[in-house]
Amino acid sequence: MIELKNLTKKYDDFTAVDDLNLTIETGGFFGLLGPNGAGKSTTIGMLSTLLLPTEGEILIDGGQLNRKNTALKRRISVVTQEYSMRQDMTIEEVMEYQGRLYFVPKKERREKMRRLLEFCDLMDYRRRTVRKLSGGMKRKLMVCRALLTEPDILLLDEPTAGMDAVARRQMWNLLKKLNRNHLTILLTTHYMEEAEILCDRVGLMDRGRLEEVDTPRAMIDRLGRYAVDQTSDEEMSSRFFKTQEEAIQYISGLKRDASLRNTTLEDVFLKKAGKYLEKR
Amino acid sequence: MGIVTVLWEKWVEFRRDFYKITLAAMIAPLMYILVFGMGIQTISHGQPYLQFLIPGVVALTTMNGSFNAIAQNLNVQRLYEKAFDQVMISPTPLWQFIAGQIIGGSLRGIYAGCIIILLVLPIGIPLRFNGWSFLIMFLNGAVFSTLGVVVSFYARTHTDVPRFSNYVIMPMAYLCNTFFSSDNIPHGLREVIQYLPLSQTSSMIRSIANGEPFSCTGIGILAVYLVALTALAFCYLYKKKNL
Repeated sequence: MIELKNLTKKYDDFTAVDDLNLTIETGGFFGLLGPNGAGKSTTIGMLSTLLLPTEGEILIDGGQLNRKNTALKRRISVVTQEYSMRQDMTIEEVMEYQGRLYFVPKKERREKMRRLLEFCDLMDYRRRTVRKLSGGMKRKLMVCRALLTEPDILLLDEPTAGMDAVARRQMWNLLKKLNRNHLTILLTTHYMEEAEILCDRVGLMDRGRLEEVDTPRAMIDRLGRYAVDQTSDEEMSSRFFKTQEEAIQYISGLKRDASLRNTTLEDVFLKKAGKYLEKR
Repeated sequence: MGIVTVLWEKWVEFRRDFYKITLAAMIAPLMYILVFGMGIQTISHGQPYLQFLIPGVVALTTMNGSFNAIAQNLNVQRLYEKAFDQVMISPTPLWQFIAGQIIGGSLRGIYAGCIIILLVLPIGIPLRFNGWSFLIMFLNGAVFSTLGVVVSFYARTHTDVPRFSNYVIMPMAYLCNTFFSSDNIPHGLREVIQYLPLSQTSSMIRSIANGEPFSCTGIGILAVYLVALTALAFCYLYKKKNL
């Protein structure tokens, strides 16, 4: 279980994360959503010990996470937002280096490396340097690298950014499978569809504060399960309804073209993000 | 063991860039020996100047080899490639990472120094290099590798490391008992320069090369630098709030 208690991160006068309290159960798949600059990556940064909190603490199964606690660090893998790899190393060397940094025994790391690279279609490129890989391939490699160490907790900071649709689906399937095997996952993403499909709970952050935590389904239900989109020359707007009947009744009274669809987490996010922007 | 992992990483880099690393280690010292030792033929302390120069060039090559192997590389990994993040995140104890960098850098320094020793062999200058010489070269390399770690950690931009090299490493290369005896430097500045690590290294390697006894105080001074710089590196890794 991951517990963030009163977690605060300040850079001089700017508060990036403000008194964050959050619990993620073992085996949970939690999505951290929010507009740019909301504090998501800073939170991941503190969980990966790259950033030290100004106040508060992070507990993993009751143990305090810090830079010296190697036993806890062993259980965590991170896919950072940036391509954090040596550009002059080959795919094979990147994996080997990771295995060594996490003290994975030689035979085990070679076997896992082969399996993961095959799964992500990177096996044929294993002798290619990172510099020569496409953005999507680098992203896949980062995920492979994180999984090589068989972590208990996986922190993903926009893991599918730059991936094509097929690769993204592959990655979703993999993450779902890993989560079914009790891997605890914390994900930040800008793809709301990704969060809706993968996460059992999501948290909406704005200006460093966690504004709301719930399941995607509950958030959608609160907004209204059915959405009616109306498009004019100036803008596109949506209205939300609890029942299909209400939505159909609304459409029948409209003079302009409109379409009915199911509400998504993106609608929830847009609605909330709009409110946050108004507050600003 | 984390130290072995870092050494493995250094080995991968060395193997891949073998020719570049070897050539880079040779060019500047060879120029010094050709220009100052063979081009401008002089006598120093009643001996050919090369007798004085070569141990100094070996010392400064060790310094440059170690510092350059670590500082620029680690700086790029930290600020540009962000590869250093993975080390910080990993369970490899950070002290082992630093120790690996120091040992790896020292070995690169010794490698560069050995190239110079081999290259000057045909000149036929009677100089001795023994186990003590290599221990001192290793220690000198350790001091400058650690300095490389510290500089790369505290650098804020990519240009900070070359700038530090220009302001600190290059003047040391010329002034620290390498091309001329620091006894000739004016009083006041002389005392400061004499206690710099490269001055001590040059002096000890030169004494051994000439078959003279050397003062172990130099080893103590190098050890003090090593401890102080290592403490600075640890302080950064464990205490710095934002890496």
